[in-house]
Amino acid sequence: MSRRKGWRKTLYHIALWVVALIFFAPIFWIMLAAFKTKDQILATPPQLLFTPTLDNFVDLAMRPNVSGYFINSIVISLTAVAIALLVSFLAAYAFSRYNPPGTNFMMFILLSIRMVPAVAVVIPIFLMYSALGWKNTHFGMIMFYAMFSIPFSVWILKGFIDGVSRRYDETALINGGSRWHVLFRVILPQVGPGLVAAFIFNLIFVWNEFIFNLIIGGLNTTTIPVSFSTNLYSAGGLDWTFVASMTTAYILPPILIVFLFQRYLLVGMTFGTVRGEV
Amino acid sequence: MRADTTDTTTIYTTAPQGAAWRRSLARLSHALDNSRMFPALLIAPVLIFFIVWNVIPTLWMIGLSFYKYSLMLGNERFIGTANYLSLMSDDQVWAALGRTFTWVVVGVGVQTLLGLLLGYLFWGSRDMPGRRLALTLLFAPMILTPIAAGVFFRLIYEPTFGIASFLFRQIGIEVVFLNDRNLAFASVLLVDIWMWTPFMILITLAAFGSVPKAELEAAEIDRIPWLKRMRYIVLPNAKFILMLGILLRTIDSFKTLDLVYLMTQGGPGNVTDLIALLLRRKAFEAFDLGWASALGIILLLAAIAFTSIYLYILNQNRQRQQQEVI
Repeated sequence: MSRRKGWRKTLYHIALWVVALIFFAPIFWIMLAAFKTKDQILATPPQLLFTPTLDNFVDLAMRPNVSGYFINSIVISLTAVAIALLVSFLAAYAFSRYNPPGTNFMMFILLSIRMVPAVAVVIPIFLMYSALGWKNTHFGMIMFYAMFSIPFSVWILKGFIDGVSRRYDETALINGGSRWHVLFRVILPQVGPGLVAAFIFNLIFVWNEFIFNLIIGGLNTTTIPVSFSTNLYSAGGLDWTFVASMTTAYILPPILIVFLFQRYLLVGMTFGTVRGEV
Repeated sequence: MRADTTDTTTIYTTAPQGAAWRRSLARLSHALDNSRMFPALLIAPVLIFFIVWNVIPTLWMIGLSFYKYSLMLGNERFIGTANYLSLMSDDQVWAALGRTFTWVVVGVGVQTLLGLLLGYLFWGSRDMPGRRLALTLLFAPMILTPIAAGVFFRLIYEPTFGIASFLFRQIGIEVVFLNDRNLAFASVLLVDIWMWTPFMILITLAAFGSVPKAELEAAEIDRIPWLKRMRYIVLPNAKFILMLGILLRTIDSFKTLDLVYLMTQGGPGNVTDLIALLLRRKAFEAFDLGWASALGIILLLAAIAFTSIYLYILNQNRQRQQQEVI
């Protein structure tokens, strides 16, 4: 395929760019809307050329609840993923090196947790949280999302630790290093890419998660996706300038992450089970 | 474990015997270091999470599925397998399963075909100018929350000022996408296809990328025709990753909830009522939790079955790779 020459090659590249732009077009359309006034959004025919305005973003920043949603989303996703990564790293190391009885079964069960429809998972959690008073608490949301991030992190990190030779462990132990030294000073630095991939993709999953927050969250813990659904259906008509500017602010971080960490995209989207070049 | 140490820290750092505490901590960490319990200690935190947030809730749900338990009516009594029997004979459940089946087969089918086609197109685009940016734009849809995707398309499908409605009006057809009983399902499915075709492109790129370069070059030198090259060199090597991708997509597609919830909430009527939406409504609008738990358990078993197949293919792929190394 790559043997094409001259103008045929240029044509091929243009075709690829067109495909990419077609897929991006719907996102671009809402981003455009974020810079339009209300009348421009509601105009028929739809306007492609207009003088952009930043009023919507100013309005967004002034709204009383919006900063709360953003803070909730950021705090909950970062804390949950950090906790999940720490405990997953420890467990992944133990699974990889000591291979305790039941390792395969545990890995299987962990993966199947992620395959179950979210609503089925959330029914008993809802009852448990109601009984314990954990609903609408940051603790409850963070711990739940940490649990939600563990399966993927264990899978991805075990794969990466399996790839580090045991000789490193042995050498460090023979030279008098403690097991903690092996864990954090020898192994940890070598699985950096695994940690990065697990971190960013869990972050995206939690950032995008909707149904758990809708059901076991509440006013104090509302994250951005839930705020969309409630804002869309309440208050009669749709406030499109608000929706457009909020979505734009909300989707920029994941897109930026994909741009910066493109080589982890494959491993991230397949729970660490498929690795390779893209 | 962690809670204990932080408690002692607060007590002892204010007390004069700080050094003694530090020595005993060192002794403790040394003992742990040499103990056979080390792996168990490493796994313990994950195990605690697993027990508190999975085992207990799941057992609770299994128990609940044998009860008549409704938060609205407040009555609670053991009714054996009546919930399971009732959902087996419930037309709504079968209708929702049928729609979900169509959703998965058509959605994943189209995504796979388009993904293969476009993935093939992008295979060999290494020296494309601005490749990284182009791939970011291409892969952006799948990285967004379905909630945001739903918002975009509500704007695009909007009957009065949406651009899709406008374009159709230009060719003389008046369409309302999401409020039309005949079009709603296809309109929402189209958004799902838009979101997840990039995933299948990614998988196709990875699968084709796993084909050994030497074999491809040899085939090119031998001037083996394109069809044979695909059939005997590319597909045998690529099929495992492709199967993993399709299976992962099937599982995810089966779970679809957010997108449809935001766009149509299962309506109009119930033409977009997929199984996950039905479960949500039964559990958190009707609050018929016993019945919903029974359905949840069945979906759980389905997920375990899917995961088994997934791991089976994954192991096949591992064995193949190991054979190649040998």
